[in-house]
Amino acid sequence: MAGFHRLRYALAFLVLTGTFRAAAQDPSFQASVDRNPVGVGEELTISFTLANAGTGGGKNFKLPDLSRFRTLSGPNQSTSMQFMNGAMSSSVTYSCMVQARDAGKYSIGPATIDVGGKTLRTNPIVLDVVKNPQRAQQSAPDNAGGQIAENVFLRAIVSKTHVMQGEQINLSFKLYTRLTVMNYAVEKTPTMTGFWGEDVETPKDVQLSTETVNGKQYRVGIIKRTALFPTQSGSLEISPMTLQTQIQMPAPRSVDPFDAFFRDPFGRTTNYAARSEPVKVMVDPLPGGAPPDFKGAVGQFAMSTSVDKKTTRTNEPVSLKVTVSGTGNIKLLEAPALELPADFEQYSPKVQEIINRQGERITGSKVFEYLLIPRYPGMKVIKPVTFSYFDLNRREYIRLRSPEIELNVEQGTAPAVPLVAGGGREDVRLLNQDIRFIKVRPAAFVRQGEYLYNSSGFVLLLLLPLAGAAGAYVYASNRRAALSDVAGYRNRRAIGEARKRLKTGERLLRETGAKAGGASKSAPRFFSETAGALWQYLGDKLGIPQAEFSVERAAGALADAGTPAPLVQALRTLLETCDMARFAPTSVDRPAMQRAYEEASRIIVELERTLNAQ
Amino acid sequence: MNRVLLAVLLCLPAALSAQAPEQLFAEGNQAYQQGDLGKALGLYESILHNGYVAGDLYYNLGNAYYRSGNIARAILNYERARRLMPDDEDLRHNLQLAGTMITDKIEPAPRLFLWDWWQGLKDSFSLLTITWICYGCFVLFLGAFCVVLLGRTYLLRTAGLWCAGVAVLLLACTLLLMYVRVAELHRTDEAVVMTGVVTVKNSPDEKSSDAFVLHAGIRVQLIDRVGSWVKIHIADGKVGWIQENGVERI
Repeated sequence: MAGFHRLRYALAFLVLTGTFRAAAQDPSFQASVDRNPVGVGEELTISFTLANAGTGGGKNFKLPDLSRFRTLSGPNQSTSMQFMNGAMSSSVTYSCMVQARDAGKYSIGPATIDVGGKTLRTNPIVLDVVKNPQRAQQSAPDNAGGQIAENVFLRAIVSKTHVMQGEQINLSFKLYTRLTVMNYAVEKTPTMTGFWGEDVETPKDVQLSTETVNGKQYRVGIIKRTALFPTQSGSLEISPMTLQTQIQMPAPRSVDPFDAFFRDPFGRTTNYAARSEPVKVMVDPLPGGAPPDFKGAVGQFAMSTSVDKKTTRTNEPVSLKVTVSGTGNIKLLEAPALELPADFEQYSPKVQEIINRQGERITGSKVFEYLLIPRYPGMKVIKPVTFSYFDLNRREYIRLRSPEIELNVEQGTAPAVPLVAGGGREDVRLLNQDIRFIKVRPAAFVRQGEYLYNSSGFVLLLLLPLAGAAGAYVYASNRRAALSDVAGYRNRRAIGEARKRLKTGERLLRETGAKAGGASKSAPRFFSETAGALWQYLGDKLGIPQAEFSVERAAGALADAGTPAPLVQALRTLLETCDMARFAPTSVDRPAMQRAYEEASRIIVELERTLNAQ
Repeated sequence: MNRVLLAVLLCLPAALSAQAPEQLFAEGNQAYQQGDLGKALGLYESILHNGYVAGDLYYNLGNAYYRSGNIARAILNYERARRLMPDDEDLRHNLQLAGTMITDKIEPAPRLFLWDWWQGLKDSFSLLTITWICYGCFVLFLGAFCVVLLGRTYLLRTAGLWCAGVAVLLLACTLLLMYVRVAELHRTDEAVVMTGVVTVKNSPDEKSSDAFVLHAGIRVQLIDRVGSWVKIHIADGKVGWIQENGVERI
């Protein structure tokens, strides 16, 4: 019907624009309503038409204040074009469908639009909204809307208008009728911003009951039931639902039998859009003091946990199921966080939910299945899983705790799957480790900046072997100098060498003594050694080479060296005795050998004393 | 952290009455074992205040800071301990673990494998050990020198000469090692970031553009200084300027 009015208006407009085209080449912007006066609760269309705007059209269209009306749709834009006498004219119409709420005279203010840099305003319209719909319907005698509106209406009913966030509200749309509703279809579903809505199952056939409203009996059918859970606090609105109904109108009683005859005995059917009123719900926020793991669950819940196996191997997955069941906003439940041993790998949980939509309350359960992969063997403990919710009956937060879950992880053979999570392998290896214990051994304290290498003690310690080496060097260089002085060397060694040979003589003497009569046998060797000792001594001491040695030369040298003459004489005698005994051994006996030995010893001692005394 | 500081301040008078560091150390260890971290920190710090240092002391101090949640200070003390005892296995482990706790994960710029070998060799002995090895080489060289001087036989003298040659070579190597370690001990260009979050600037100026952001606990190298600003270099090669009070020298 509204469509018809729009059409009619548009036709009228076209006629008008056509008529006054010559005079109205400038762009025009005009407002109009499809009927005036209008009844309370009736629809009307307000149109704003821009004509001759040229090719640029209008920009920045602004509606006037329509807050005293309920906007049903719009603004909708429609464009029409026409050619007349070869000239094209176009018009753009912005239309709004509104419903008047209260009776009274309303002024619809100007709408504005910018065309070619100029702002155009519409003429204000005074709209008369009247209480008596009968009068309002004068302009539309065919419309039985007012009559229908009295007998057929849709109501949105909420179980509560003041709830806590997350508390369930039952919203039902009831169709009240005193007429026969042939058919109905939902034209516009309500929008429920700020709610999570779960449609409750309603029987396929609408169950009718009887209710009395304002003293009239109505048959009532529940069209739609929804369980709502507010997800935010504040004042929330549930927008209206529109139901398109097909109603059989009762045949008006007529006194005219002809009239009655030609009329449809079952009356006419007519279409009627039943619209519910918007519903406001006050939602209180949840009280403070929520546990840290509270994630918005409100209602009454129970939790259980289970693992598919208690014993597993490394790198073999274990499935941990956490089931939360109960009454409340099941769909909004979030997976509880697990506190796993550090070397466990966890994948995001698989979620399965079962929601029971029958009955007054939404019940159901949600299963979170976690896949866990232990990486290292050992007895592993998964800390209790916790789940918090707000209990509406007790008005407090409840925290559920599962028991601890123990897992025995054995060393498996399956190779480790590359780690998904960030962080290097090194980090992962250290995850489960703690710092090593402090050092309790006696610490070696030093004064700040004082170390062994720069301590005076160490310098001394360095000097010690250096001094040793220096000493060795001095000794070695002395020895080398001594070795290079042959005469001095022989001189110093003379007495030692002589003693060595005399020792041999002494040994031979003792042997002779032991074997009686053996003197003749060992005598030559004895005298040879004794003489050798003397010669060598003299050679060394006087610096005479062995080849040039003779008794005469030795005696001369000794005399030069200031040796007393008797000593030189004794030396001569002894050497002669030795020579004789060497070539005539039979002439000597043991006492002679003894004497010779003693004489040799005495002479060497005497010589050493006199020669060294110089 | 304030509690810890308070404990440090409370323990300062005790530190001033110069006690034997060994005794303070033992008391600190006892406090640590009883879980009284504040007291342990105070006692350890008082030893440092008295002018004594030891690798073990810095290590324990690092552990105490780690336990009290101050990872940056723990890393600073572990780094200080490392200068004194780089060969300590526990220290290496703890330092690595503390490194995983800090926010910044910096991949060090790759180096030649020889560098790693050298680092391993350099850090495989304490400075004290190196000093003694050096001394041993010195004595060995002098001993061999004496043998060369005094050897009675040709064979002995030849052996002595070879021995002295080897000893000189060893001595040169250990001296080099010791020099590097001593230089490392006294270097002042290494620091640890102490401020929780610090924005590194492109130039030493508050209005300069931001280069990158560092978090507490990261080790940086100081390469230049202008006023209260220091130029830092981090392991992955990035360079920037920060306020000097944001870092503490190792």
